[in-house]
Amino acid sequence: MNLLDTETLKGLEPVGALLLGWIGLLFGFQFEIVKLRRFPLDFFKAAILESFLTFALVFFGVYYTLPLFFEIPEVRHIVLSLTLSAAAACTAQTGLALLSPNFTAQHQKTLGFLRYVSSIDGFSALLIFGVVFFFRKSSMTGISWVGDLALGTAFLLVISAGLVFLYIVFMSSHRDESELALVVIAMAVLTSGVASILHFSPLVANFFIGFCLVNLCRQKERLFKILVGVEKPVYLLLLVFLGAYWKLDSMWLIVLAAVYCLYRFIGKLFAGFMVTRLSPGLSSYPSHLGFGLLAQGGFPWPSCLISSRVFPVIFLPA
Amino acid sequence: MVDLYQSKRNLVTYILTLFVVTLFALWLRHLDMESSWQKAGMINFSIGFVLLLAYMSAQILKIARLPLISGYIIVGIIVGPYVSGFLTNDMISRFGFINDVALSFIALTAGGALHLQALKKRRKSIVLNILFLTLLVFGFVFVFFVFMGSNFSFTRNLSSVQVIAFAVLIGVVAVARSPSSAIAIISESRASGPFTETVLGVTVAMDVFVIVLFTVALTVARVILGGSGMMDTQVFMAVFMEMAVSFFFGALLGKGISFYVDRIRHDLPLFLLFLAFGVSKISMWSDNFMINCFDIHLHLEPLLICMSAGFVVQNFSKTRAYFMESLESVSLPVYVLFFSLAGASLNFDALRLCWLLTLCLAVVRVAGIFCATWLAGTVAGDLSLHNRSAWMAYLTQAGVAIGLAQIAEREFPEIGMYLTTVILALIFVNQVIGPVTFKAVLNLVGEAKIR
Repeated sequence: MNLLDTETLKGLEPVGALLLGWIGLLFGFQFEIVKLRRFPLDFFKAAILESFLTFALVFFGVYYTLPLFFEIPEVRHIVLSLTLSAAAACTAQTGLALLSPNFTAQHQKTLGFLRYVSSIDGFSALLIFGVVFFFRKSSMTGISWVGDLALGTAFLLVISAGLVFLYIVFMSSHRDESELALVVIAMAVLTSGVASILHFSPLVANFFIGFCLVNLCRQKERLFKILVGVEKPVYLLLLVFLGAYWKLDSMWLIVLAAVYCLYRFIGKLFAGFMVTRLSPGLSSYPSHLGFGLLAQGGFPWPSCLISSRVFPVIFLPA
Repeated sequence: MVDLYQSKRNLVTYILTLFVVTLFALWLRHLDMESSWQKAGMINFSIGFVLLLAYMSAQILKIARLPLISGYIIVGIIVGPYVSGFLTNDMISRFGFINDVALSFIALTAGGALHLQALKKRRKSIVLNILFLTLLVFGFVFVFFVFMGSNFSFTRNLSSVQVIAFAVLIGVVAVARSPSSAIAIISESRASGPFTETVLGVTVAMDVFVIVLFTVALTVARVILGGSGMMDTQVFMAVFMEMAVSFFFGALLGKGISFYVDRIRHDLPLFLLFLAFGVSKISMWSDNFMINCFDIHLHLEPLLICMSAGFVVQNFSKTRAYFMESLESVSLPVYVLFFSLAGASLNFDALRLCWLLTLCLAVVRVAGIFCATWLAGTVAGDLSLHNRSAWMAYLTQAGVAIGLAQIAEREFPEIGMYLTTVILALIFVNQVIGPVTFKAVLNLVGEAKIR
C-alpha cells in the first residue's frame, strides 16, 4: 500500500532510534548484579559459553556457505557472517512461556536454568554485534581495527558514563510519571544518536546505560516500570519497521535462510550438550538442553534492523 | 522553606545540565559525518537534545510563572535555523510527519476537552464571541490595511486592487486561532470553569469556521483580482463535503476508540498514537487516491477527524475518563516535541522583512479581539472581569493560519509572497506572546488549579 514509503521512514527515523534505545535499556535492566548473584556463577558461565559456542559454529558455517550462493565483497561478507551468527546466539523465552503448567511443574529446575540462560545469552551476542561496528569503520579506512576497538571501547565507556551521570542528575529530584517518561524517551533517542554518530552500536550504548542505572540509580523501579510498560508495543513497532525495510533480492535468500536455521539448530544442540558436560556443577541437567534454547527473538530483531541500515548488502548471484 | 531550597537546587541543576549538554552538542556538531547512518544519528541526537533542552528550559521559566509551552517555543527558536542553526530547515521538514502525528494527537485532546453539557450552558456566550470575533477582528484588520497598507515599505508596491484583496485575506487569517496552544495551556494549568469552557469552545469552533470563511475570502479575492467573476458554488460544496466527511470519519473513529477501550483496553496511549499516525497517513493517501482515481479533490482534514473523534468519546461513551487519562499520560512528550518544532519553524526572516507592519497588525488584531470579547461578554451577561480580560486568551495563532497562507500563495502568486511573509511574522509575534497572556488570564479569572 506504500503507507510506509521511503519519505515516511526517513521522517520516522527518530522513532526507530527510540525503539533501539528502549530495547538496549531494557536489556541492560536485566543485569542487576544483586539479582544475578542469587543464581550460581556456573549458570552465568554456562550462558556465556553456550552463546559463544553457538556463535562460533554458526559463524564458520555462514562464512563458508555465503560465497556458494552470492558474490559479496569480503568486508561485507565478514560483517554479515558476524551479524547473523551473533543473532543466532540469542535465545528467546517464548518457547518456555508456551509450556503447559504440568510440564513446568515437573521440570522446574531445568526450566529455571533455561530461563536464566535465555535471558543472559544475548549479552555475548550484543558485545559481538558491538564489535562489528569498529570492524566496519576500520575496514573502510584501512586502519587496524584492533587498535580502534580498544580506543573505541574506552571512548564508549567515557561517553556512556557521562550520559549515565545525566540520567542520575535527572533522577535526583522527584518527577511525575509523564516527566520521567519524557526524560527516558529523550535520553534513549539522544544516546542512540550519539552512538550512531560515534560509530558505536546504539544497543550496546543503551545497554551499558541500562546496566549502570539498574545498579546505581535509586529510582530504578520507577524507570523499569516505564520501560517494561510498553515492551510489547516496542517490539511490535520494531517488527513493523523490519517489515517495511525487508526486501527479497533473490529467491536464493530463502534457501540461505533454511541453511542458517539448520546451522543454528546444530549450534544450539551442540552448545547445550557441551555446557552440561564441561561444568561439573551442571552435569545433572539433561544433555539435550539445546532443544529448549531454539526459540529466537528479542535481541536479533533490533540487530537486524541496525544491520540493514548500517551495512546494506547487495546480493549478486555467485 | 524546603520548597524554596528545592526549587533553587533544581534551578542550579537545570542550568548546569543545560550548559553541559549544550557543550556536548556543540562538540558533536563539529565532527565529520561520513555515512548516512551518522547523519541519521545526528538527526536523532538533535531530537533528543531538543526534547531535553526544551523540558529543562521550560522548568526554569516555570519559576518565573511563564507557561511551559513558551519555554518549548523559545528553545525551538534558539535551536532553529534562524538563530543557532542546530536544527536545519531540512531537519524540520523531515520531522514534518512526526509533527503531523503530534498535532492529530493534540486535536484528540482538544475534542476530548469539549463537554457537550457545558457547551450547551455557554452556548450564548460562545456564539456571540464567534460572531463578534469574526466581524470585528476581520473588520479592524481589513480597514487598517486598506487605509494604511500602502504606507509600509514592504507592501508599497501593491496596487490598490491588490491591497484590497490582501486586506480581505489577512483579515480572515487574523481570525484564526491555535487550539493546540489553548489545549496545552489549559492542561498545564489544570484550568476548568465557565471561562475556560467558553474559550475552548470558541477556539475549536473558530478553527473549523475559519476554513469556511477563508474559502469565501479566496473567492472574493479572486473576483477583486479580476479572475472568475462569479462565486463558484462547487468550491463551497467541496469544502462542506470535506468537512462533513471528516466529521463523519471522526465520529466513526470515536466510536472505534470507545469500542477498543471497552473490549481491549491494553496500551491505550500507544493505540491512540498509532491512530493519530493512521489518520495523518490515510488523510494524505486518500488525497492522492481521490485525485488519481476519480479526479476529485477531497481532502480529509486530520485535525477535524481527531477533534470530532475526541468529542464523540468524551460525550457519547462511558470510557471518557480512561480515555482522557491515557491522553494525559503521553501528552508531555507530544507537547514538548510539537511546540519546540513549532518554535523552530517560526520565521525570523519574515519578521525582519516586515516587522513594523507586523507589529501594527498585531496591535490592531488585539484591539479587534478586545472589542469583540468585551462586547460578546457584555451582551451575554458574563462577569465583567471575564469581559475585560478575555482578549488575552485569544492571541495564540499557529498551524491553520500557516496552511491558509500557503493556499493563498498558490492561488494568488502576485500577492502571495507578501501575504505569507506577513502572516508568518504575525504568527511569530502571536505565538510568543499568546501563551503568556493566556496563562495569565487563567490565573486572573481564578480558573487555573496550578499557577
